[in-house]
Amino acid sequence: MTNEIKPINMPKWGMEMSEGDINAWYFAIGDQVNAGDDLVDIETSKIINTVTASDGGVLRAIIGATGETHLVGALLGVIASAETSDAEIQAFIDSNSSAAAEPEAVAEVAAPVAAAIETAPAPVAIPQAANGLSKLAEGEDDSLVAASPVARRLAAEYGVNLNNITGTGRHDRVSKWDLEAAVLAAGGRLIGNSINKSNGAVQFGDDSNVKATPVARRIATQLGINLLECRVSGDRGRVCKADVEAVAALKNKMPAQTDGSSTASNSTFESQPISGMRKTIAARLQASKQTAPHFRVHIDAEIDALLEVRKQINNSNTNAKVSVNDFIVKACASALMKVPAINVQFDGEQLSYFSNADISVAVAIDDGLITPIVTDANHKGLVEISNTTRDLATRAKLGRLKPEEFQGGSFCISNLGMYGIKQFDAIINPPQGAILAVGAGEQRPVVKDGQLAVATVMSLTLSSDHRIIDGAVAAQFMSVLKGYLEQPATMLG
Amino acid sequence: MTTQQFDLMVVGGGPGGYVAAIRGAQLGFKTALVEKEHLGGVCLNWGCIPTKSLLRGADIAHTLKEAEHFGFTYDNLSFDIKKLVQHSRAVASKLTHGVAHLMQKNGITVIDGSASLADKCLLNVEHEGKVTQYKATHIILATGARARNLPSIAIDGDRVWGAREAMTPNALPRKLLVIGGGAIGVEFASLYNDLGTDVTLVEAEQRITPAEDADISALAEKAFVQRGIKVLTNSIVQSLDTSGADTSALISGPKGDQHLEFDQVILAVGITGNIENLGLESLKVETAKGFLQADGFGKTNLAGLYAIGDVAGPPWLAHKASHEAVICVEKIAGVDGVKPLNKDQVPGCTYCRPQIASVGLTEAQAKAAGHSIRVGRFNLNANGKALAINEAEGLVKTVFDENSGELLGAHMIGPEVTEQIQGFGIAQQLEATEHELAQSIFAHPTVSESMHESVLDSLGIAIHQ
Repeated sequence: MTNEIKPINMPKWGMEMSEGDINAWYFAIGDQVNAGDDLVDIETSKIINTVTASDGGVLRAIIGATGETHLVGALLGVIASAETSDAEIQAFIDSNSSAAAEPEAVAEVAAPVAAAIETAPAPVAIPQAANGLSKLAEGEDDSLVAASPVARRLAAEYGVNLNNITGTGRHDRVSKWDLEAAVLAAGGRLIGNSINKSNGAVQFGDDSNVKATPVARRIATQLGINLLECRVSGDRGRVCKADVEAVAALKNKMPAQTDGSSTASNSTFESQPISGMRKTIAARLQASKQTAPHFRVHIDAEIDALLEVRKQINNSNTNAKVSVNDFIVKACASALMKVPAINVQFDGEQLSYFSNADISVAVAIDDGLITPIVTDANHKGLVEISNTTRDLATRAKLGRLKPEEFQGGSFCISNLGMYGIKQFDAIINPPQGAILAVGAGEQRPVVKDGQLAVATVMSLTLSSDHRIIDGAVAAQFMSVLKGYLEQPATMLG
Repeated sequence: MTTQQFDLMVVGGGPGGYVAAIRGAQLGFKTALVEKEHLGGVCLNWGCIPTKSLLRGADIAHTLKEAEHFGFTYDNLSFDIKKLVQHSRAVASKLTHGVAHLMQKNGITVIDGSASLADKCLLNVEHEGKVTQYKATHIILATGARARNLPSIAIDGDRVWGAREAMTPNALPRKLLVIGGGAIGVEFASLYNDLGTDVTLVEAEQRITPAEDADISALAEKAFVQRGIKVLTNSIVQSLDTSGADTSALISGPKGDQHLEFDQVILAVGITGNIENLGLESLKVETAKGFLQADGFGKTNLAGLYAIGDVAGPPWLAHKASHEAVICVEKIAGVDGVKPLNKDQVPGCTYCRPQIASVGLTEAQAKAAGHSIRVGRFNLNANGKALAINEAEGLVKTVFDENSGELLGAHMIGPEVTEQIQGFGIAQQLEATEHELAQSIFAHPTVSESMHESVLDSLGIAIHQ
């Protein structure tokens, strides 16, 4: 009876998110969706996250197709009851698209639009129809409620708070049976029953209720294949691309080629849309170069004493594998405490001074670069810095960092010494104020007391944002840093 | 040439090592596996799988022996042990190829050779006299273990077999001495007895299978003796004299010393970790009693070095190694919710006849740990299916904490109990109490009904006894 229409909007995860790429939909149009279900994966700057359904209903429309980019707040899809007419759905989509601007048209004026959306009133949801199911969702943290493991997992899927369920198991424990009885009593539908419902007499009829991946559905439409003909081998019980292609092969229908207007086949390059991470790297580095006047200072440090201390630490402590880079992190942390004017973030208007050295360490990964943060490096010992960095770098490469582990940071170190790079300049990682570029430690001739000698020398270059860091301050930082690196014992003080 | 670098290197291709490599590759590590001999390790090549293939032959021998009971008579029965060994080797070889395929499928670099640590996160791999160096952020040692020798008695591969020789015999021994009544010893005793060898089993402790619950050991010994295996407990083989045509063993026991003659000896007195030539000493990696020391996630005292499986200590079981492999790699990768190994939840299976399977604490261990307990027992001679297949010798024993209802241990002896113990393992993992188990419906007619009855007995409400 309810004719509530609920929008699925592009979420805003974090201050810097202005748009997101649609990565994959977990449901197809016509699927029954329950509150709490995973709906769609969105790829943003550095993470892929999943939007979950806040309400149950039927997924009636998908506006943000897989592969498209949409602004924060943009309408991606519509959930409504099966009874709501198509005309009502269309009207809802039309009214919402005009509120949230067309995705293509706004690319250049992203900032103001995003701001407008944040203040835009919530669309047409009709509040008074708060049904029994949403009542079941209310309540405080239910982690202490006695419930069977199955009941607890199902409660999460239904979006039910276990405080609202009366347990009839031993010691009043909530069982699966209790949970399902409550869901039914509240007018809900049991998960998994939607498939049986539509499977009546239909044979190769309406396939809109068949669960399928977006790609499979599109290919099936192009080839005129009914999804009911296909076997189901995809995850989550969905028809996948291979299933449709198998039917196509059986019927001698080859997958449709793209329009004949495509480019000649002997081209020597391959076009690929860039990933969310690459977009972020591109946008941030461009913004950094355009807005922050980079001022560079360069210094050489002799690290023979440091190498000796490193050897002593690693030989005396089995659980230590301290690298030269770990020393640089420690030395930078100490130098930042001495010259706090470098330990800053600047967003163009406000300058934030940090009391601790949260040092971002650039790690190259397969499809880009990420900067996990060694937090409080000024309070950590060398071995702790080393073990923390190894753990962060390991997980960075696996894509398993939590957002808080790579977002933020008060200073950045980029080290290309392992590639034999002698010296380079790095681009500041905004909103940080400075970045240190570290080259390889190598034996070079040096002049000492008028004599030619050999020392292990490392070239260091600091790029700082000249709007907020004066040249003398940058120079002072580098001189302190050099002191710590050349006499590592002084870091202990 | 620059040193090749990996995120994760695993030394040893057994059920610990190859599982660690696969899980690592799944999580996105650039992974390499170093193996000096055969992928699959002892388990696939010289342990679990080939012995189970041989024991299938023993089962058939046993079935043939009792065929008359079911109305079959036959003559001219002959047996060629070479064919049985051939079957066993074929299975091992097939599985080894399976592991190689899994390595390839998961994009794991397999490196042939013997590995040793050159430094932290640095491995030397020697192959055919050539040493190659590799860098790895994380190195997992899964080098396994091998049979232990006694001070006075050592495996020589001829008169005295280790497990490896015992599973590749050219001929059936006439009179066999098995030294050691643990899992490996009783399996070989059972195997050769079924195949027709005269077997004597010597165990230093008071009972065979001393790690199992005392009731289970007692039943196993009774069944062995009934089958004609001579079981000498509380006994020690002092020395072997191999100068004659037969080997003469000096065995001292409760009734004094005796000299017994055998044409073959199997030594199965435990195992020792493969910790030699790994470069552990110079890097001060901690070992104890022949095994590497590691925490609940396999981390050793050396930065970036981990140890899993047999080389990391007991229980020396393939499935424990595989489980440790997964938790070790997942811990490195920062997977949420990884729990350290709970040794009380590792099932143990012994494939003698009747089979033995157990998980958790024995009755004695539970009492010693201070639990007030509730014990259930059910004998298989009241189980319809066990009687139907003429294998009604057996027992299911359950040990619950009286207060919490936690299943502390389950101990089974009887037909195919190794396939049933997982039921208790799952119950334990889900922290089910005796009540949930009592409320579960067990299918009839199955041997596993005895599991249910044992639980009911712990509540004093067993139906069929």
